[in-house]
Amino acid sequence: MAMDFSYKETWLHKINPSLKLLIMVFLFIHLLMIHNTNILINYMVGMLVLYLFFTGHPWKRLLVISIPFLLIFLTSSTSMIFFGKGEITWAKWGLVHITEESFFRGLHLGFRGISFAILGIVFALTTRPVYLFYSLMQQFKLKPKYAYSFMAAIRLIPLMIEEMQTLHYALQVRGVQGERGIKEFYKKIKAYSIPLLSQSIRRAYRIAVAMEAKRFTNHGNRTYFYRLSFSKFDVIFLCYLLVIIPLSYVTATHFPYFSITDVRFGS
Amino acid sequence: MEKGLKLTDILVTIIIALIFGVIYKLWGPLYGVVATLGIHLEQLIYGMWFIAAVVAYLIIRKPGVALLAEVAAAQGEFIFGGEWGVATLIFGIGQGLAAELIFAAFRYKRYDMLVASLAGVAAAFASIGIDFYYGYIGDLALWNLLILFGTRIAGAILISGIFAHLLVQALEKTGVTNLVRPATKEDYQALG
Amino acid sequence: MTTIASMTNMRLKFPGVDSLLFEDFSLSIDRGEKVLILGPSGSGKSTLLQVLTGLIPHAVEVPMKADALTIPESWGFLFQDPDAQFCMPYVDEEIAFVLENLQIPRERMDYYINHYLQQVGLNFDDTHTKIQTLSGGMKQRLAIASVLALEPEVLCLDEPTAMLDPEGTKLVWDTIKNVGEDKTVVIVEHKIDQVVDFVDRVILLDENGTIITDGPKQQVFDHHKHVLIEQGIWYPGVWEDYMQDKSRHITTPGNTEDTKPAVHLSDFSAFRGKVKALQVEEAYAHPGEWVTILGENGAGKSTLLLAMMNLLKTTGTYTILEQDYKRIKHLAEYVSFVFQNPEFQFVTNSVYEEIAFSLHLAKWDQEKIARRVNEMLELYHLEDHRHTHPYQLSMGQKRRLSVAASIVKEQPIILLDEPTFGQDAKNTFAILEQLDQLRAQGTTIIMVTHDLNIVKNFATKVWRMEDGELVMESPAPNYLEMLQPAVIS
Repeated sequence: MAMDFSYKETWLHKINPSLKLLIMVFLFIHLLMIHNTNILINYMVGMLVLYLFFTGHPWKRLLVISIPFLLIFLTSSTSMIFFGKGEITWAKWGLVHITEESFFRGLHLGFRGISFAILGIVFALTTRPVYLFYSLMQQFKLKPKYAYSFMAAIRLIPLMIEEMQTLHYALQVRGVQGERGIKEFYKKIKAYSIPLLSQSIRRAYRIAVAMEAKRFTNHGNRTYFYRLSFSKFDVIFLCYLLVIIPLSYVTATHFPYFSITDVRFGS
Repeated sequence: MEKGLKLTDILVTIIIALIFGVIYKLWGPLYGVVATLGIHLEQLIYGMWFIAAVVAYLIIRKPGVALLAEVAAAQGEFIFGGEWGVATLIFGIGQGLAAELIFAAFRYKRYDMLVASLAGVAAAFASIGIDFYYGYIGDLALWNLLILFGTRIAGAILISGIFAHLLVQALEKTGVTNLVRPATKEDYQALG
Repeated sequence: MTTIASMTNMRLKFPGVDSLLFEDFSLSIDRGEKVLILGPSGSGKSTLLQVLTGLIPHAVEVPMKADALTIPESWGFLFQDPDAQFCMPYVDEEIAFVLENLQIPRERMDYYINHYLQQVGLNFDDTHTKIQTLSGGMKQRLAIASVLALEPEVLCLDEPTAMLDPEGTKLVWDTIKNVGEDKTVVIVEHKIDQVVDFVDRVILLDENGTIITDGPKQQVFDHHKHVLIEQGIWYPGVWEDYMQDKSRHITTPGNTEDTKPAVHLSDFSAFRGKVKALQVEEAYAHPGEWVTILGENGAGKSTLLLAMMNLLKTTGTYTILEQDYKRIKHLAEYVSFVFQNPEFQFVTNSVYEEIAFSLHLAKWDQEKIARRVNEMLELYHLEDHRHTHPYQLSMGQKRRLSVAASIVKEQPIILLDEPTFGQDAKNTFAILEQLDQLRAQGTTIIMVTHDLNIVKNFATKVWRMEDGELVMESPAPNYLEMLQPAVIS
């Protein structure tokens, strides 16, 4: 949650949030169309540079955040490596059948997962939700009733986490302890979720009423406290991508890491 | 009266969604740990990612809520730095739409466990569809792919069908759901 | 005088409730009036304010109709919960939200933001301050500032200080009196000592939303004092009346120092994460004592309770009836804890099950449980609600249930975090009396509060907290004597 930590503002923060989101979506779709691991690795390195040097967050935090990346890599790759289709067998134990094709396909999925993770985390670390929703209203004509509901609800999350701590203490005092078994697990989830949900629903409801009491309507025009428009930083970002992406294709052709250029089966 | 969802409906939907967004975010590492085994046990808990749509709909019972909730939860997971980045948003839209279609098919008149489970299954199908592009799952050995299908659908029924329904039932007992449910004709007639 | 708001024969019904809340209700308010609406919980006071401003039915769908309804042209609404009226995370953004709604041009927003903050006496070096870091009182004043941004003719206030400490309460009312002087003000409250000198008209409702009386305040207070007492209103002098009525004297256990202490803390510290959050040099509590923990917000009062419940990491000496707390396997057998928000403590679906819960855990046999639970239900006036879901109870009932469920096993020590917070007078006295009975039987009560009347009339001892440190342990009368000059001035 970028909103809870202090950080240095960098050019990535100053990109128009809607544009940033839109580019992220395009990059996502584009990434899905890359089936050559060599390109993907270069691409990933290009994104990694943004993550490591331009988010404005301290090293230690970046390091902690990146621990799950490894997990993502494993999650995304293992079942494909072990059980994917392929013809050049490397190893076989019972159902496990590792082939050259499945191995590289798994690897590819792992890198793809990490690339998505990096893109997502770069966005999360460099975008204040309030700016994002102001921008979505101004650039994408998102209806104010959705935008402000989001902003109000995001404000409530830290409150809810605080309440969860209190609830944790209270349940401990009452002797609601973790016993094993599905039924106990269900009971425990219920013990946490019912108070938190009902409290949050009531609070959200009251906030909505309070907002209308402050003459919030979905009709008519409104002025904006924050004006989000486009700037040179958007151009810088676009230029960065326009250099990195072709570059990853070119280097992949001339200096490939692996000989496989399409990881899909039968290609 | 304003057409569509009222501000109270939207804000309540979004807060429910964001709570699940936080859970989605925490669910990621858990899923990851189970998933490294490779035999799709993790798919049994995949159903958690469909729950926001079902829970929000069962509470508010209005058109549009399921889609909004699932997208908002995905958006939440995304801005809290979820491990799957933008992919979450795409999955969210697909899963939300699928669940919404099921509720619409019943004309937004049924709120029982069966409909909740169907919505979960529909969301599971949507996610599987996206996974063909995202995870090359078509290139898995057939038996493995079938396990993935089976467990993901079973998980969807278990978590976003049965569990979601039980959760909302428990919530109804607290009385808080009355806040957001529309008043009935009978209520207006009682005014005389 | 001109009428600014009125309704004729208003009828209203909550969905799912069988009877009408208001039946042919009529009311008229003139420009410049300062009106106080009183009534028991469930009498529809807040609902009335929402009808008066048109929030019902426009923002809140509640079936209602009226022969005639005049909504004021411009009004502002201040709600009870400081955490449930903001939609933006920062101070400047919150006021800007209102300005945006009114389509104020961006260039003039900064001026207005400072202007309204100044009016409510909030001074920030930087108005881009997180709302989350403000105290409850400051939050409510920020809410007033954003209401003022609407430039309202009519101010509607729905128990704006119900969730504030005495200091915050005073500041908020001072602000309201200041900004509301030339406006029409309609107030719903049950803690009225701060507002009586501000209002001129009082409307008293009964539990069905019918007007018992409506008139100049002196007349209402003179003729209907019994109703105020019956409804648990905090009117000025309520404590004096109560104490006189009870003619009870605290049986201060004279020889407590001789008995073995129930609690002894020595060089005791607690940590939140790695940060030291609590330090106690030396403190005692004996059986039959009533200790009140006093201190500013954030002084560490709740931390002390959590530490004594062994919910935080602690070091030092802490003995319970002369046993080291680390040696005690089930602390909950000796110490019970009542949290500030009762709802967080509820873990079952009915009042009966809630009280029986710890007994089931302790494996009591069914018959014994039933006997004990019934006894508690009667003692805490919850017999009629045994099958009700705890969340469906009124605020007072929830509080009584949370106390009953916590102490059902008759633990020798009870810790309570502001148990009378937000309660009406009647409930407050009921809870205090029950605690006092337990104390008289030898239970040790240790309680966080802001209410000096409790210190004066019930407590035997005061622990004063400052900056996470227990700085003073003193018998209650001595503590009050020490405060005396300050209270008089």
